[in-house]
Amino acid sequence: MITTSNLSKAYNSVTVLNIEKLDIPKGQSFGLVGNNGAGKTTYFSLLLDLIQPTTGYIKNKNILVNESENWKPFTSSFIDESFLIGYLTPEEYFYFIGELRGQSKKDVDNLVSQFEDFFHDEILGKKKYLRDLSKGNQKKAGIVGALIGNPEVIILDEPFANLDPTTQIRLKQIIKDLAKKHGVTILVSSHDLLHVTDVCERIVVLEKGEVVKDLVTSQATLKELEAHFAGESLN
Amino acid sequence: MIQRFLSLEWKQFTRASYFQKGLAIKILLFLGVLYFGGMAIFMGGLLFFILRKTMPEVDPIVTVNNFLIYWALANLAIRFFMQQLPVMNIKPLMTVPIKRNIVIHYLLGKTTLSFFNFISLLIFLPFSIVLLVEGYPVLNVVCWFLSLMFLNMAINFINFLINKNNTVFYSLILVILILGGLEYFNIYKISEPIGFAFNAMYNNPISVVIPLSLLIGLYKINFNFIRKGFYLDGAVSKKIEEVKTTDLTWMNRFGSVAPFLKNDVKMIWRNARPKQVVMMSFFFLFYGLIFYTQPTYIKMPAVLAFASMFVTGGFLLSFGQLVPSWDSEYYKLLMSQNIPYRKYLESKWYLMVVAVSISFILSIPYLYFGWKIFSMIVAGAIFNVGLNSFITLFGGALNRVPIELNVKAKAFSNTNGFNPTQLLIALPKMLLPMLLFYIPYKIFNFEAGIIVLALSGVLGIVFKNYIFSKIEKIYQNGKYKTIAAFGEKK
Repeated sequence: MITTSNLSKAYNSVTVLNIEKLDIPKGQSFGLVGNNGAGKTTYFSLLLDLIQPTTGYIKNKNILVNESENWKPFTSSFIDESFLIGYLTPEEYFYFIGELRGQSKKDVDNLVSQFEDFFHDEILGKKKYLRDLSKGNQKKAGIVGALIGNPEVIILDEPFANLDPTTQIRLKQIIKDLAKKHGVTILVSSHDLLHVTDVCERIVVLEKGEVVKDLVTSQATLKELEAHFAGESLN
Repeated sequence: MIQRFLSLEWKQFTRASYFQKGLAIKILLFLGVLYFGGMAIFMGGLLFFILRKTMPEVDPIVTVNNFLIYWALANLAIRFFMQQLPVMNIKPLMTVPIKRNIVIHYLLGKTTLSFFNFISLLIFLPFSIVLLVEGYPVLNVVCWFLSLMFLNMAINFINFLINKNNTVFYSLILVILILGGLEYFNIYKISEPIGFAFNAMYNNPISVVIPLSLLIGLYKINFNFIRKGFYLDGAVSKKIEEVKTTDLTWMNRFGSVAPFLKNDVKMIWRNARPKQVVMMSFFFLFYGLIFYTQPTYIKMPAVLAFASMFVTGGFLLSFGQLVPSWDSEYYKLLMSQNIPYRKYLESKWYLMVVAVSISFILSIPYLYFGWKIFSMIVAGAIFNVGLNSFITLFGGALNRVPIELNVKAKAFSNTNGFNPTQLLIALPKMLLPMLLFYIPYKIFNFEAGIIVLALSGVLGIVFKNYIFSKIEKIYQNGKYKTIAAFGEKK
């Protein structure tokens, strides 16, 4: 589904990301972990054509993302608050995204109603603008916004950060379901090793912009990751 | 303690975004301040002589006193519009071991240095000096001057008390309009009783204590207000607005641009900054009154063409020049969502067209000045729709300054989207209608000028698709730069 080839990004000759090859097959739940500055958000931004690659390219369903815009109809994402429109209510935001993705009001209502327990009664019908919601509630709205319109690829940057424990657990279930039942390719980054090992079939560790580990998740993965990051901190 | 505060203040001043701009902007800003300051001093100095000449039978000080009520009301209205109590600044100071009272005194004291206080000072100081030179009694003049300054500060503090309430503002505007109207049509002159009061104050220097005590009282009220609200959920807290939803489904008839149009309407309606811009653009409507009433300008048709373009182009110019910036807060969303750039730009264009049309309808009273003037407005409106809108959108592509939507622009820090490129792009917007009118006017006659100006707009509409694809390309090419610039911390 997503192929990355010779991709690098440099700012003033400082390379922040350098991935020779990375293929993500359709329907995989893919986790990206790494410390601050490892290049996770840079990779996602390149994938969404928000920054320009220095070398190489990313293909999303065989479409070169930095040359054509045709990947947009089947790709959705929530990276940070700049993906929210602060002066809209959550409902209006969902309808807006729905309109962009050719969904009727009813389609959107149907989809959103499935996430009622995820929202924990703090999002819908509150008569509040998104900018006035707490960080965690903003995130919930943003994540659900990214699920509207049957996307085939979903990209979530740090989806677990700022969420309360109950919501974290529910989000994990949602991500698992999307990949398993609906065949959605889902890319998640996180600082929380436990969460990623829980939801992702495959985990890639980035360090200073390079892929240092590429693991198929198993019982031993969490231990291995913990050992890796603990070792790193000792160096 | 005080010097620490002062050093904080100095850093805030020198590191503010408007000081980080290029040298050219700094010079322009400096000239702007100089200009307004100079104008105020000049006005203040000349006021006495003008009044003596135009109304020789009335003592100038009496006339001034009569009109002080309008000074006070306008003063309050402008402050309400532009000045905000910098209450948010106390948040980082709340947990620092400084006595609360000191922080509040500092905060309130700081507002005395506001630009708005100086404007009145710069008018009344030279006026008072002229009075003294002209031999008016020293004690009376000094006390009168002090009274005005106390009132000025009192208005400063009234503003902070009413600032959170929009109804107060609109009632204020209404009161000014009604009083002005009654005065103008000689029905009831509010200036008489108020003027009488001010004159009495001038004649009895001791009454300076009245405004002084008013000022002290208001200071106390403000102090208590902040003191009571000195908690995170008190005065410091961001006001959470009640959601106002309006049914905009009727806009769906605009087809594929409808989602964006609906969004833009909400954006304007629900954010402080664009609302301010819309109100400003409303004042452009009155631009014609300045030009059409002056005999000097009537003989300069090129200037009239320029003014006519302004009458209907207020929104287009002030909103349009910041086009991608309005969406800077969520630009990444727009760039990664399923949105063709074309539709996004088209919706902005429709918005401008609607605004020009509304302004045009509102400008119909200009028929009073005759068909010739009105035909210029018509031609100006067509030019605005067909050509100026595209030039504005094109200029927007070069504008990469993020805007904080829900923060009011302040006087002299309103440099968002104000840069040399912006000035360059403003030139054709101003000069083009003048040239388009003036050249055929000189060669043929007045009608030819009007026709050419209108025709240029029609041509723009005819080639709309072509122009749009050109503009779209320019926006596409600047995409990464724009995203990066909008992502920068303000």
